[in-house]
Amino acid sequence: MSRKRPKLKPSLKEDEKLKAELEKAFGETVKVWIPRAKRMFIKVKPGDHRKVIQWMRDNWDLQHVTSVTGVDKGDTFEIVYNLYKYQGYRTYPNVKTEIPKKDPKIETIVDILPSADFYEREVHDLLGIVFENHPNLERLILPDDWPEGVYPLRKDWLPEGVE
Amino acid sequence: MSTVKIPIGPQHPALKEPINVTIEVEGEQVVDGKVRIGYNHRGIEKACELRTYVRDIYLLERVCGICSHSHTTTFTQGVEELLDEDVPRRGLYIRTIVCELERLHSHMLWFGVAGHEIGFDTLLHYSWRDRELILDLLEMISGNRVNYAMNTIGGVRRDISKDMIPTLKKGMDTFRERCEYYLKLCSEEPTVLERTQGVGVLPTHMARKLGAVGPTVRASGVDMDCRKDDPCAAYDEVPFEVCTWDSCDVFARVAVRILEMIQSCNMIQWMLDHLPKDEIRLKLKRRVPEGEVLSRYEAPRGELIHYIKSNGTDTPERVKVRTPTLANWPSVEYMLKGCYIADVPIIVASIDPCISCTDRITFVDVEKEKTWMWDSNQLRRYGIEFYKKKRW
Repeated sequence: MSRKRPKLKPSLKEDEKLKAELEKAFGETVKVWIPRAKRMFIKVKPGDHRKVIQWMRDNWDLQHVTSVTGVDKGDTFEIVYNLYKYQGYRTYPNVKTEIPKKDPKIETIVDILPSADFYEREVHDLLGIVFENHPNLERLILPDDWPEGVYPLRKDWLPEGVE
Repeated sequence: MSTVKIPIGPQHPALKEPINVTIEVEGEQVVDGKVRIGYNHRGIEKACELRTYVRDIYLLERVCGICSHSHTTTFTQGVEELLDEDVPRRGLYIRTIVCELERLHSHMLWFGVAGHEIGFDTLLHYSWRDRELILDLLEMISGNRVNYAMNTIGGVRRDISKDMIPTLKKGMDTFRERCEYYLKLCSEEPTVLERTQGVGVLPTHMARKLGAVGPTVRASGVDMDCRKDDPCAAYDEVPFEVCTWDSCDVFARVAVRILEMIQSCNMIQWMLDHLPKDEIRLKLKRRVPEGEVLSRYEAPRGELIHYIKSNGTDTPERVKVRTPTLANWPSVEYMLKGCYIADVPIIVASIDPCISCTDRITFVDVEKEKTWMWDSNQLRRYGIEFYKKKRW
């Protein structure tokens, strides 16, 4: 009895096609890699994420934001826009960008994709990343009396009693 | 006519997601709705970073009391992908069987709650009695009724023995019969039709734009289902159909969930017939190589994602959890606009959130600066009375 699943690895043909489309449109601006079928990671500079996402919305009819993830990487914050392409070949592009921790500001994508609203507020709450031009960047998750300037998901913050 | 703001919620200790919904009303109609969440934020994402992968499974199981298995499925398959290991097929099949049993009891629970919200308590008692059947089956397989602790990294922890299979199959037959009865009942019963048809309409284009997931988006005619779009566990081998409905209202959400339950019964019976004979789990290393993974699974309430980033140690660098209910709140805000106050409970309940969030309601009259309070019972009663009067 074989331990491995008797299954062929899914073809990456469709993913490669989308990758080529992206690279054709943006050239050096984007770095695209495909870890497996139906996953795509796109690394861009902070200003360019809007352009790439807007292009994907207009050309791929991409409307669904699955989530926005913020990661504390020491000196920088990494922001990952987890998106979902529904029309045609269904795949999950992730747009990644890095911003300095000293000045954690990035422009919002809510005007492009309205479903990013809550997720950006969540990241703002927990990591202190400011999404510029967001229509309603209010507190969403933390309590109203939570102290200003304390961001629990940053690596330098530890809950009380944990060593 | 001036508008009146009504904050609904937020706190109830027994809930996973207490919420505050502030609705702005003009007479009987709602003109705007705003949602504020986080009243039960427990910092599980942070806690995950401080624990090992194995301990995280049991922590993440407690994100939700109803879809506990969904969270562990998403997390363990993400870690398995990081480890680049293939899980034995029997393990995957058992994992999927428990997934579908969980969907059955979650949908049946919701169905009863929906009945309660529209003043049809007989439906609540009937459907929760039927739900007991599933809970008993889950107890037989795992030893637990809600947090089953079935998943582990590399497979599942308990096997389904030969003598369990007839009981499970018989249970599925009974349950499917009940679901078919409920489908017939819902399409004929005036109480259900009057309170659900044309209520809480979420048009297809808005459902997509607002990023709705799960039965909510499928009830708006969009065939979005992670089980088909991005098959995990054994879903690529099991035959099933993605159920959608085109009427975009609360009735569509009822119909989609009942149809999904019938599908799940068939899936479980198919999997029991085709249960592979290899092992149920693989012993894997505790250290996870550096990398990142986006793990998805279709939980009963919709698409659930975990974004896991590892740093080469036995604890994760970052675990991000996005639950389906969060994705559906913008749709609730949209659906509330233009509805009657009497329909607020069923609209909020229609996405299957933790509905007791509507436990305490304060009515504030801006002009008279008068405040009064209603609890969810009074609001529910108000809704039922409102529709009684409307009938004439």
